[in-house]
Formats: sequence, structure tokens, C-alpha cells
Amino acid sequence: MANTGWDEFEIGAMLRTFEGEAGNIAQTLQEDRNYTENSSFRASVADWRIEKPVFNKDYCIDCQFCWVYCPDISIISRDKKMIGIDMDHCKGCGICVEVCPTNPKSLLMFPEQADEESVIAQWPSKEEKEK
Amino acid sequence: MSEMKKIKNLKEFSTSADRFEGANLLCPGCAHSIIVREVLNATNDDLVLSASTGCLEVCTAVYPYTSWDASWIHIGFENGSTAVAGAEAMYKALKTKGRLKQPDRNPKFVSFAGDGASYDIGFQWISGCMERGHNIMHVVLDNEVYANTGGQRSSSTPIGSSATTSPAGRVSYGEKKNKKDMVAIMASHGIPYSAQVAPNKWKDMVKKIQHGMEVDGPVFINAVSPCTTEWKFDPKDTMLLTDLATDSLVFPLYEIIDGHELNITYRPKNVVPVEEYLAAQGRFKHLFKDEYKYLIKEWQERVDANWAYLNRREEARV
Amino acid sequence: MAFDKMELRDIEVWDGNFAAAQALRQCQIDVVSAYPITPSTPIVEGYAKFLADGYVEGEFVMVESEHAAMSGCIGASAAGGRVATATSSQGFALMVETLYQASGMRLPIVLNVVNRALAAPLNVNGDHSDMYLGRDSGWIQLDAYSPQEAYDLNFIAFRVAEDHDVRLPCMVHQDGFMTSHTAQGVHTMDDDTAYGFVGDFKPMNDMLDFEHPVTHGVQTEEDWHFEHKARQHNDLMTKVMPKIQAAFDDFEKLTGRKYNIVEKYDMDDADVAVVCMGTSVETAREVALEMREKGIKAGVVGLRVVRPFPFFEIQEALKDVKAIAALDRSSPNGAPGMLFNEIAGALFNTDTKALLSGYVYGLGGRDLTKKHLTDLYTELQANVDAGKVLTPLQQFIGVRGPKLAFL
Repeated sequence: MANTGWDEFEIGAMLRTFEGEAGNIAQTLQEDRNYTENSSFRASVADWRIEKPVFNKDYCIDCQFCWVYCPDISIISRDKKMIGIDMDHCKGCGICVEVCPTNPKSLLMFPEQADEESVIAQWPSKEEKEK
Repeated sequence: MSEMKKIKNLKEFSTSADRFEGANLLCPGCAHSIIVREVLNATNDDLVLSASTGCLEVCTAVYPYTSWDASWIHIGFENGSTAVAGAEAMYKALKTKGRLKQPDRNPKFVSFAGDGASYDIGFQWISGCMERGHNIMHVVLDNEVYANTGGQRSSSTPIGSSATTSPAGRVSYGEKKNKKDMVAIMASHGIPYSAQVAPNKWKDMVKKIQHGMEVDGPVFINAVSPCTTEWKFDPKDTMLLTDLATDSLVFPLYEIIDGHELNITYRPKNVVPVEEYLAAQGRFKHLFKDEYKYLIKEWQERVDANWAYLNRREEARV
Repeated sequence: MAFDKMELRDIEVWDGNFAAAQALRQCQIDVVSAYPITPSTPIVEGYAKFLADGYVEGEFVMVESEHAAMSGCIGASAAGGRVATATSSQGFALMVETLYQASGMRLPIVLNVVNRALAAPLNVNGDHSDMYLGRDSGWIQLDAYSPQEAYDLNFIAFRVAEDHDVRLPCMVHQDGFMTSHTAQGVHTMDDDTAYGFVGDFKPMNDMLDFEHPVTHGVQTEEDWHFEHKARQHNDLMTKVMPKIQAAFDDFEKLTGRKYNIVEKYDMDDADVAVVCMGTSVETAREVALEMREKGIKAGVVGLRVVRPFPFFEIQEALKDVKAIAALDRSSPNGAPGMLFNEIAGALFNTDTKALLSGYVYGLGGRDLTKKHLTDLYTELQANVDAGKVLTPLQQFIGVRGPKLAFL
């Protein structure tokens, strides 16, 4: 939203989340919602990241640990399957990688500039547990 | 009554459509939003929310952006609970008078506040809300410090923690007073439900939130919220810290029904020494100097005594 | 409807508190969130009793402090319904933080303020310290001088505050004890007429509209805060007075009782004028008539609207007088009084040659006697005769000890 003048916004510093009626919002997925420009969903914090998580679906068991513990609603799960990461809202905290239980992990942190295809091509293999 | 949302397992939980949005300004790795997500996703009912001044509030409603997909209000530092209590009173009034726009809805009224806003400055307001029997839920995001203002001690800050107003120094080990037992105080109001929760134990959390939303009357929830900035740990380790908090029994998970009946809801298979919990955080670093090691021992004794007390309370069934 | 109407006589003998309570009943307030404090308590007790007796439907939330009272009002008002409460003095002072939040969120709450002094030292009696404390809070402030006006102005308050072009909270002031506890004849409206004047509450940005979730009480920093405050000030400066005037006009048509933004008594040919508020207006009116018998052309100006300040109406009311006394019933604590300053500001840059002097009186419920006012008018006439102010610009009247005067 542009920095408008004093006469160009609603009174009371009130903000609306949705255009029109919200409907059954608790069962409407983000892609089906009609957010206003005032929802932070429409904003990005991608530039906060130094490192980014990369998702390798080959190893994912859809346990949803990353989904439930992501502070930034950036793990996109649909129909009980992890399908990707919302890179506009991910702040690069790395929690998803820490809680990922697979071996090797299905999520790993890489420098923000890293090329996704090449890091997936060089994904580490299974770690042997120390006996 | 609305039907309770069915959440059998994490896969089912993951079909929730979040009503809290990203690109808020909370620190990377902040546990606040993990807790908020678990609370909001526990229900499909409409929500009327408030946040008292604090990290959650200043990071989620910075004009011209809001991160909330449900009606939300912030008034001040001390009165978020009373704000939703007022809204709940209006809901009852309009229901009686037949003026609700969507009379078939079954809204839940939830107030979020930090430990500073709950244990300290908002204590009286929350006590009033609990005593008056509003049908509201107050959730404390307990990070044991005034994080939003830069790390001052609150009455939730535990002994030995270095906070900016109780700093560890050449002749001080930091905070001298032990944390106030807010869950017990709130339970003493005779409210139908109070509980301590942690975001790592999401199922326990969801069960408690759902129970709290179903009961008629005020509910108090204390949620441990590890603070990467003030507890001084790497943002990726938030869940590790939460695990240490619950598994060392520093934050035991339990509930108190009707102000007296206590149930322990999580018993760690392997109890972690308190020392491990303390060692994982920069705020306790100085306790590992030789002259302060006795404090770690005292910590362990205190945690053991509290766990024994909770067990006795549970066994007594009073 | 699930509540009973109340049969009222055309004229009831009510004190100011009960008159306000009856007005709240007739406006069918949805939520009252309140905390007791002398002398305003009977207003919310009255509402509670009407509720208990089935004469109104709503929720009465008896909270644990005045701060919580206004916090509850804010939550209730943002939820979307008609909200009112009452307070005085220390309770008002405790509410101050939330007063700014109510007005900044543009919530049309009506607050009955039964004016009382501020401690220390503690005092339960009427002066205008609490009213003055609220004057920069972004609320509309109306001042009643009698139980009748306390009744009438509550209807005006809801009508103006809830107007979607205004959406600002409104205080209705009355003097502690002198008005609040003094029973007088009050001309009533029947329940339907009274409710018809304020009309049904029309929600706006209501939190309970689940199809349109709203965020209230955001954070704004240097990039937005100024614009929001400017907007609020603009609306107070430009939108409120015409709405108050329209409400006064409609009210006169309905009841025959005429209110003015600035009340003028014997001002048509007045040489000397007293400007004051509250119950002092009535005393001054009586003295002005007596002064006229003595050959002094005395008049009285009373502020009906304190905020927004009636700048042009004050200019108009005082344009032809030769000497003015501004009577402030609140200790300015190191400055000229509020009325003195506002009147000076209104008249500066005009063609007036009027001499302005200020008086501080009546603190903590000290009586303003007819003798005080007789002396005061006499001083004003002496100023007129001399063509200059002969006294210091600020004088305390009615206080024991050596004469206290400054500036």
C-alpha cells in the first residue's frame, strides 16, 4: 500500500484482511482466499534470509513435522502431502531442517544463492548411525 | 454447539487452513507463531482475537499490514484480556437481542499476551476476566522476559537468568527471584480449565485448546515460548529448546480442571537433567562458573520438588 | 422485545445521575462495562437495576478498575454495539490511557463524566479537573448544567458519536453532587420517542461480522502515525460541529428544548461577560440579572461543547463585549486557565477590543457564591471604565488566606 495522505484511508487505522466476504475461511486454503493488499500474506520477508531450506521430496515421508513447527506458515502441505516451501514467507530459521526425521533429511539449509537443482543432485546420502 | 474439529494425527492437522499469516515481523525461529498456529488451527470456528502489547502484537499488525485472518484487536499492554471480554459481552448482548449478523456462528474469544503482559502489568485485568466468568481463553506466550522491549526481567523470569534489568555481572548471577506460579494462581479463581502447554507437544496442546474452547467459562493457558533472541540460542533450535524444557520438567505439562483436579498430561520417557536445559541457553551461561554451580544443583532440586508436588496433587484427586 | 417499557410522567423529579441512567435505559445500551466511583456510581447502578428489573436488555460487566471499564467498553464497541459507562475524577484519570485508544480507534462510546476534583489531596466534590484532563484525548465533550441537560445530552451524544461520518467517542459532563445528586424536575420523553431519536445502532467495522474480519489497534510509526492523528483532528475540527448542530435542531423539533454549541444569556447588549461551565452558569445568570438592575450590562456565556472547542461560536458570542472573565474550575498549575487560553486564542487576530481576565474558582467543590460573581462583574465594569485590565490577569476567588493573583 502506497504511503497515502491523511484523507485516503479508512478511519481508525482499521485494516481488513479480505476483499468481499470471507466465507468459511477456516476451511479455505490460502490460494483460494481473496486477500486485500493489507494482508501480510501479500508481503514478503524473503530478503531476511541468509540461508534457505531446500526440499528434496525423494526422501520425504510426509510426517508434517516441518508443517506444524514452521513459525512462518511457509511449509505448503496439501492433502496431507508436503509439496513445497513458500519462499516469500520463509525467514530461513532452519527449524524445518532440525525437525525433519528422515535419513538423509528431506530438507537442508543452503546459502540463499545456491542453485536448487544442483544441490538436490548432490544431496547427501544416508548417514550411518554410530554404534 | 459447533462440532469439534477432528484432529486424529499430524497429517490430518496439516490440512488446516491457517488463519495467521507469514511475512509478519517476528524473529526467525520465534516460538510465538508456532503456538499461535497450533491454537488457531485447533478449531474451525470463527475467532475474535486480541493481543496485548508485546512481540506478537507489534510484529503482526504494523500498518498497513495485518497477519490476522480473523477479527483482532489490540488496545494496550495490560488489557487484551478485557478487550475480548468486552467483545464477548457484546456477543452475548447481541445474541439475546437477536442482532447478530451471523447468528449461526459459534465464535471463540481468545486473548494472547506475553508473560510481562500477563504475570505483571495485565495481572489484575486477567484476574478480573477469570473471576467474572467470561467465556474467553487467555493464552500466555511465556518467554520469561520482556522480549519486545529488549530483555528486561518479568515476574516469570527464573532464578539465575541474565536479563537486562537483572544482569549477571562480576558480583551477580542475574535474576534473584523464582518464577511466579501463574497457572496455580489462575486455577485458584476456580475457573473450569487451566493448563500448561508447549508447542513441541502439539497433540497435547490441541487437545487442551479444544477442551478449553468447549468448556463454558474462562480458560487460562500458559505456553512455553523459547525466545531465540533473549534466551540466546540459534533460531533453528527452537524446538530442541522446547523439548529440553518439557523433558527436563522445567516446564511440566499438566492441566487443572475446575480449579482443583490436576492431571499431568505428559511424562517424559527419559527425563533430561536441568543442566542440559540451562546449558543450551546463553542467558544461563554464567551459571556454569564454579562459584555458581550450586545454583544449577538448586535448580534441579526445585524442579524435582515441583514434579513431586504435581504428582502428589494428581494422586490426591482433590 | 423481551423487556418492558417504563411509564414515565411528563416531568419526573430526578437528580443528574438518575437522569443519565434513564437516558442510557432509553437508548437501550447493549453493554455497560463499569467500575464504581463517587459521585458517578448511581448512573451505572441505575442501568444495573433497570437490567435486573427487566426494563432493558444487555450486558452489565462490573469490572475491577476504571481502566478495565473503558477497556471492556472498547472491546464491546469494536465488537459492534451501543456502549456506555460513567466515571469521575481518579477513575477518569485511570482511564486516560484507554480514552486515547477509544478515540484513535474511532469507537462511539458514550462516557458520562460526573466532574470531580483530582487528588492530592483527595476530594470527592465537583470541580472540572477531570474534564480538563480529557480535553486532548480526541473525544467530543458536552457539558450539562442541570439534570435535565444531563438527560438530554446523552441522546445528543449517541446520535452524534454513532454517526458514520463522525465515529468518535463522546463525554457528557455534569457537575459532581451539584448536578449529579440534586433532584430537579426533568421533562421526559417516552421510551419510543427517546429511542427513536437515537435510532438503531448501525455497526461499522464490527469484529462480530465474521464475513469481514477486521484488525483494530494497529501499530503505526513515523511513516503513518501522523496521518492517522491528522485525520482524527480533521474530523473533530470539520465534521463534529455540524452534526451536533443538526442533532440540537432535531432535538428542539422533538422536545421544544433548544441547545446551542455556545449558550448565551443576556448577551445581546452585554458590556461585560462571564464565560464558564457547569452549574456556575446558572449562578452567573442570576447575578447578571441583578447586575443589570444596578446598571451594569452583564451577560453570561456557557460552553455547551467543550471539545471540539467552539472557536468561531466563542468569537461570535464575545465580539461586541468590552470585558470578559474566563472562569476556570481546575487548577492550571503553572499556567493561565484553559478557558482563558482558548478564549484568548479565539479572540486574538479579531477586531475585538475586549479586555480578558481569568479567574480560578470552586476547586474541590468550594461554592461559587453570588457575592463572588457580583464582585467579579464589578471588576469587569471597572476594567471597561478604565479601558484596561486593572487586576492581575489571573485571580483565585473563594480561597482563604492572602489574596492570590498572578500575571
